[in-house]
Amino acid sequence: MSNETRTLTLQSCRHCGAGAPTEVHFCPQCERILTLTRHGDYFSFFGLPRKLVVDLADLDLRFRRLSRQFHPDYFYTASGQERVASLERASYLNDAYRVLRQPLDRAEYLLRVEGLPGVGMHQDAHELPAGVLEEMFALNEELDEIRAAREAGAAPEQLSARLESARRPIEERAARQEAQLEALFQRWDKQLDEQSPRDVRRATLESIRSLLQERSYIANLIAAALREGGQS
Amino acid sequence: MSKVVGIDLGTTNSLVAFVGRDGPVVIRDGSGDALVPSVVSLGAGDIVHVGREAERRLLTDPLRTVYSIKRLMGRGAEDVRDEAALFPFRLSGEAGGVVRVGLGDRELTPPEISAFILRELKRRAEEYFLEQGEFDAEVDRAVITVPAYFNDAQRTATRDAGRIAGLEVLRIINEPTAASLAYGLDRRRSGTIAVYDFGGGTFDISILRVEDDVFQVLATNGDTHLGGDDIDQLLVALVLRESGLGSAIDPARLQAVRRAVIRAKWDLSERDGTVIRVEDPGAADRAGPLFERGLSRDEFERIIRPIVERTLEPCRLALADAGLEVSQIDEAVLVGGSTRIPLVRRSVEALFGRPPHADLNPDEVVAIGAAIQADIMISGRRDMLLLDVTPLSLGIETMGGAMSKIILRNSTIPASGTEMFTTFVDNQTAVDIHVLQGERELVGDNRSLARFKLGGIPPMPAGLPRIQVRFQIDANGILSVSAHELRTAIEQTIEVKPSYGLTDGEVERMLLESFEHAEADVAARVLIETRNEAETVIRATEKSLRNPDLAQAAAGDLAPGELAAIESALADLRAAVTSNDRAMLEAKTKVLNDVTRHLAEVMMNRGVRAALAGKRVDGV
Repeated sequence: MSNETRTLTLQSCRHCGAGAPTEVHFCPQCERILTLTRHGDYFSFFGLPRKLVVDLADLDLRFRRLSRQFHPDYFYTASGQERVASLERASYLNDAYRVLRQPLDRAEYLLRVEGLPGVGMHQDAHELPAGVLEEMFALNEELDEIRAAREAGAAPEQLSARLESARRPIEERAARQEAQLEALFQRWDKQLDEQSPRDVRRATLESIRSLLQERSYIANLIAAALREGGQS
Repeated sequence: MSKVVGIDLGTTNSLVAFVGRDGPVVIRDGSGDALVPSVVSLGAGDIVHVGREAERRLLTDPLRTVYSIKRLMGRGAEDVRDEAALFPFRLSGEAGGVVRVGLGDRELTPPEISAFILRELKRRAEEYFLEQGEFDAEVDRAVITVPAYFNDAQRTATRDAGRIAGLEVLRIINEPTAASLAYGLDRRRSGTIAVYDFGGGTFDISILRVEDDVFQVLATNGDTHLGGDDIDQLLVALVLRESGLGSAIDPARLQAVRRAVIRAKWDLSERDGTVIRVEDPGAADRAGPLFERGLSRDEFERIIRPIVERTLEPCRLALADAGLEVSQIDEAVLVGGSTRIPLVRRSVEALFGRPPHADLNPDEVVAIGAAIQADIMISGRRDMLLLDVTPLSLGIETMGGAMSKIILRNSTIPASGTEMFTTFVDNQTAVDIHVLQGERELVGDNRSLARFKLGGIPPMPAGLPRIQVRFQIDANGILSVSAHELRTAIEQTIEVKPSYGLTDGEVERMLLESFEHAEADVAARVLIETRNEAETVIRATEKSLRNPDLAQAAAGDLAPGELAAIESALADLRAAVTSNDRAMLEAKTKVLNDVTRHLAEVMMNRGVRAALAGKRVDGV
């Protein structure tokens, strides 16, 4: 992790009052589990840098190790305060694991902790690249026609063929986006390693955000198309 | 040390196990029987029978004998309307409320009935420990298992049953996961396993990854109303149809039919053919059977195939949720009595493409797992860890009757989620929140868990308050909710009205009712005694300090600063007297006692002198 993004705030032990860096889970002085007050983010909780390409086997291993450290099953006979701390820490761990395990959730989360507006909020059609809207309108129109045709009693095979061809360009676009995202994730990681200037990294995040935005917009349309397909 | 046990509270049978010096042990009765039938019957003089005796009474007193109570746990009166016809015992309860079961002239909730079974298991275990020469044989803590697919209301009802039975419920764990723990202890290796748990009333499938002795559930699915009971009902329907006994059959005969088909079902797990033979419970010994018919395994399998097939779809869904292909499953494990049926075994083998494991007794493996979990929680051993998931998504009702999901199904528990709320009207001080569990889009298709009223919101223009509500699912899979308003940091009050559960007050009351002697909470009692002692010392000191002779005494007999020390110790203890810290209270009481000892002596001496002086005056 670059020094720049490292959080230097402290949490303090409710038991002995000692201070501890936010990314540790146990009091350096009395060794008791720390109540979850000030903490870093999902990445630092796992002892990971804020990178977008994650080795899942390593993440799983860390998850199991941390679970073994503070699962509530191991704190049943501890003090009330430690029991609460274990529940909250284990909960946070599980929530973090769930997000970090999925590349898109991980990316959306990174955008949030880096201070960018959430994906899906402030959705603005102007932000979409040229051609996408036209494609979407065409698809919507085609879906309407398919719907009308079904109601008019058209043959199911014919409908599903039309649906298939309507879906194809959208799915191809989705595959292209996937590849673009992958490249952007790697770029971000590299910039983090090289400690690139802030505005350079920010630009990468902005690109990721607009791709995710576009993707969620298109995902909704694909879902609609799939629903149509399921009905035919 | 009192004992901890693991309990498998089953639809048909229940068991209790513990971990001894040599590993897990299933507790048996004198005749070696580990199974306690989950049947409760009210006998003459309102004596409650549980287990084998209650099971016998199904034939002789069916109206006062309750079975399969697990199917009614956590359910509402209207949920069970269809099922009520299948049970000979009386079901009632107000619409929108918890279902009640008539037992004699009492109307009991399912947790109260289950508590009878739990108390019987507790008694059986205590008897066993006494026989083993244990000094403290009391069983006061337990891990209790539930089907993985149990929702929040069903889990809470199970925990309530434990509390009513006088047990501290260490943890509610899922049956398939418990079974995996028992298997894991047996072999200790890594891999991905599918646990297929087909019991008397419920079906579960859990997909787990075992690595570094961490048993991590990846996905679970199931049906809480699919089990051996359903197979029995199909066969009962067949007999009723063919025998002409019809639906107006009297309850004792219906039980005789049920018993006969269950026996035939068991037979067909061993043989290719059997005879269903229904004895007439009212008839003399030598009378012929009420009904008799041969049943081949082929015919049996044709009849039950739809039921067995209903278990396969949840398996596919669980695999999909785990993101796995069938080929990635290293082992399939069979749990539950219904997995003895050959058709079930063949179906599981066909689905997973390999013969399933059934090396451990499928009836006992869950109780053993529960005992291991109890041991992990109490003994401090950390060799294994269960990481389970919540089987159903949790969400809230949004405008327009849709469900907005906050914690998704198959999230590892404990898990949490937060949601922001605001107000729609100026100066609105409360918001209603409806919590749901399920996978469907619409509120009405999901399980209503509770309605919350968020109160105490400071009056503000509409839309301005920002109330953060935090939903926490604990390691038992049970939900709790907390909330605070972010602008004012005022903690919100929450009134919980469980949709189909008992309030804490009701559970408390049932516990008291169920016990002849409510167990005194020793710690609380000691604290109260300590506090009383502190208050006595405070009062005595205050009295001395108010004594009109004090100034004179202070001038003559007390050391400089002594009075100040007393006043400071008094203030100290006064401030501490409401605390729950018994040790501190005791220490401060002692300080005040010590520091006032000299004053007490002085005052007493003065009193004696005055009395003597007075006497002398009087006596003159």
